[in-house]
Amino acid sequence: MPGVTLESVTKRFAAGAAAVDDLSLEIGDGEFMILVGSSGCGKTTALRMIAGLETPTSGTIRIGDRVVNEVSARDRDIAMVFQNYALYPHMTVARNLGYPLRQRRMPRAEVARRVNEVAEMLGLEQLLKRRPGQLSGGQRQRVAMGRALVREPEVFLLDEPLSNLDAKLRVQMRAALKRLHGRLGITTVYVTHDQVEAMTLGDRIAVISDGRLQQLGPPQDVYDRPANMFVAGFIGSPPMNLLRGRVRAGQATAGDLVVPAPGVPDADVFVGVRPESLHPAVNGRPSLGFEVAVVEPLGDEVIVHGTVGAELAGVAAEEREAALLAGNGDRAEAVACLSPRDRPREGSVIRLGVEPDEVHLFDAGTGVAIR
Amino acid sequence: MSAASHAPRAAVRERPSLARRLIRSDHLAGWAFVAPAVILIAVFALIPIGWSLLLSLQSTNLIAPAHYVGLANYRALTKDPAFRSAIGHTLVYTVLFVPISVGGALGIAVALNRKIRGIRFYRLAVFVPLVTSTVATGLIFLWLLDPTFGLVNYVLHLLGLPQQQFLQDPNQALYCIVAMTVWSWVGFDVIIYLAALQGIPQDLLEASEMDGASRWATFRSIVLPLLGPATLFIVVWSTINALQLFDEIYVSTRGGPLGSTTVIVYYLYQQAFQFFNGGYGAAIAYVLFVAILIVTLLQLWVGRRRVYYSS
Amino acid sequence: MSVQPIAAASERFPPLPDTGPSRRRGRLPFSPWHLLLAPLAAIMLVPLIWMVIVSLETRQQATTFPPVLIPSGLHFDNYSAAWNAVPFGRFFINSLLYSLATVAGNLLFCSLAAYAFARIRFFGRDVLFVVLLATLMVPFQVILIPTFLIVKQIGLVDSVGGLIMPNLCSAFGIFMLRQFFRTLPIELEEAARIDGTSRLGILFKIVLPLSLPALATLGIIQFMWSWNDFLWPLIIIDSQTHAPLQLGLSQLQGAHFTQWNLLMAGTVMSQIPMLLVFLLAQRWFIRSVAFTGIK
Repeated sequence: MPGVTLESVTKRFAAGAAAVDDLSLEIGDGEFMILVGSSGCGKTTALRMIAGLETPTSGTIRIGDRVVNEVSARDRDIAMVFQNYALYPHMTVARNLGYPLRQRRMPRAEVARRVNEVAEMLGLEQLLKRRPGQLSGGQRQRVAMGRALVREPEVFLLDEPLSNLDAKLRVQMRAALKRLHGRLGITTVYVTHDQVEAMTLGDRIAVISDGRLQQLGPPQDVYDRPANMFVAGFIGSPPMNLLRGRVRAGQATAGDLVVPAPGVPDADVFVGVRPESLHPAVNGRPSLGFEVAVVEPLGDEVIVHGTVGAELAGVAAEEREAALLAGNGDRAEAVACLSPRDRPREGSVIRLGVEPDEVHLFDAGTGVAIR
Repeated sequence: MSAASHAPRAAVRERPSLARRLIRSDHLAGWAFVAPAVILIAVFALIPIGWSLLLSLQSTNLIAPAHYVGLANYRALTKDPAFRSAIGHTLVYTVLFVPISVGGALGIAVALNRKIRGIRFYRLAVFVPLVTSTVATGLIFLWLLDPTFGLVNYVLHLLGLPQQQFLQDPNQALYCIVAMTVWSWVGFDVIIYLAALQGIPQDLLEASEMDGASRWATFRSIVLPLLGPATLFIVVWSTINALQLFDEIYVSTRGGPLGSTTVIVYYLYQQAFQFFNGGYGAAIAYVLFVAILIVTLLQLWVGRRRVYYSS
Repeated sequence: MSVQPIAAASERFPPLPDTGPSRRRGRLPFSPWHLLLAPLAAIMLVPLIWMVIVSLETRQQATTFPPVLIPSGLHFDNYSAAWNAVPFGRFFINSLLYSLATVAGNLLFCSLAAYAFARIRFFGRDVLFVVLLATLMVPFQVILIPTFLIVKQIGLVDSVGGLIMPNLCSAFGIFMLRQFFRTLPIELEEAARIDGTSRLGILFKIVLPLSLPALATLGIIQFMWSWNDFLWPLIIIDSQTHAPLQLGLSQLQGAHFTQWNLLMAGTVMSQIPMLLVFLLAQRWFIRSVAFTGIK
């Protein structure tokens, strides 16, 4: 099972900005790699270039050792699940599933055997004689996957396959996908804008923004040590609180939060604290004042929205003015996740503490992580 | 339904009279709205349809009063060699015209369905003949195919090929008519096919490519079936029009040479308005009507069974 | 864990020019489809171009072999000759009257009827609709003779009125507009009803203004049909003074069938209006045609 390699791949569309900018990525043999980022960040374009549906403006794409830039999509032995499934509406499920095999001139008996095998694997046996128009969203999604898998491809591409499903189905399919990958071990590249999918499904995730790779690594690493502000704000839900601050004499401050930062030179920084890292303050440990505005009890945790005495990091001037007008003054909106035991009252002012090694520092100029 | 008025809380209004209810009613309104259309269509379509049937059972020269002859006209038709010729010519024409124009239109639409420079010009060029009238088409081609001075014979001459008589040759005239009408009508089919092609979602074609299908296989397995409804429509429409061919014949060959381009409607015209056999002409019209109906129903029946329709 | 950019220069591809959807570097400087489309366009346009060329030649030049491809001079006098040989001015006026009247008639009567079929529940509505629609199934040749007799009875033979009357309202227009009206949100009309607007008022003040695309389509289809109509005028008109354009062209042919330069000039004149309308309103045209396919 070969891996996929992108070397400095760039894609420009008709004299515009680059949709994909100097992207280099090595996807290992059998790995489940997730490309994650917000809409329009270039992840789908990157996927389509791997598929062969777009040609790179520059750079090389390899499958295994083979350079495939000039190889057409139909010869790459790659299978893809499209976001809207792209099922052939005039064919039954069985014929949809068998289509790729018939194109390769496989004998009919073999086609039937494989179609049945895949149908069984995905629970589609009862649906073989139906047409896509008669199927539910989840069923269509499984047929799309079946059609991709029936060929036993070398690489498996998925373009936001779960985004059209309802929440409950999405959870089920996530688990099913993970099981499937465990069983078949095909090199998989999966594109999504949903960071929950990214965290739960991937062996490694590649966070992409504006066509550039922001960070690459196992999900936990990306979560624990975001490489820059974008990654910090993108991964994790609710998103990380980012405040303006500075480092002076080995201490980082943001508002009334003071955290030791040994070895870090004086600078203007952004201080990042995840909502999950906040807990009721412990005496002697770093803490900050938190004015509670809204409390959302979720059963297993409580999400607290409020403001802290610091400025929001990386906020554009207009937004800051708007915030001033909104009466928040120079306070930043922040979120904390607390245990139901510690549920505060709305309107109260509390102190929340955080462990120093759960505080992230980013350079105020470049956004790159300092610590 | 008489409008329930915002009844004053005081006196209970008595029920409006029948006349008032009628005037306010939807029934009257409805009929009033459709009246002009109904009258016009009744007078100029419904009555003529029935009258035509009557005429076909009469003998009339369209001036003097007619008298009934029962099914004599129809019996005469079955024995009429000129009518049988007309049927033959019409069938030959139709069997050539429909596949050529539909198949040609499909190919042209596929060629026009891309974003190269100048595509708008090419499309316009294909659509323009649609706008020219049948008379103009007939005249233009009459001159283009002139055996002595025509441009086409000139081109043949340049290529070293023998000169043809075209519209003056009983063996070639009908085929020239086919060419002429294909030229002028293919744009219609192209417009419909183009719209249908552009309605096929791009990701279906990409999925097919990823599934390993060659461009031709994608066309055959995906595009063609999805064009089914458009194809059915075009085939039915073209057939109906082909069976009714008249204008171009009148302008270019007047049914000749030697009656080789006399099609059914032309024969009808001759019988009814040149020889003043009104009843006979009506009978021909009814036979044509029934034929068109049968052919259309047949095509639709076959089509419904084999054409995929999206729900 | 970051990725080292693998950068052996020899493995890098030079930047490819973006040729859009094509995935190969073509060997030709232009798309190969031009090789197919250009001859096709030529075939479609040559007859029309030839028509114009011949219309500008002298009779001598028109009737020589080999044909004169580039006339020595532009003989626009063919046009005035054709104009005068038969009453071309009258032909234009007759055609204009015929087309405009049938367009107006159809737009008006079909709107009224279509609205009723779409929105008013009245006794016999559905049966009536089917009956009207059934008339579309019957080819014109069937009703040709009786329609001629009816028009004769009314006394409108050989007049523009006789041309117009049978074509003032067609079931096709009713069908098309009804389909369209049904797609409009009914709330607008209901609100107006509550405000006391009459049904007629609703039709003219609310429904029709929202239906301009459909009306335009119907208008174009009807205009083109009337402008290019030949068979019915052939039957109903005898004289030259009342002939519409296409019939007039055929009369020109009858009178001067050897003077091809004249005939072509006449043909050009008769086709210009429609060609102009087409070029100016292409999108409407194409939509109208595509629409008939969607029904």
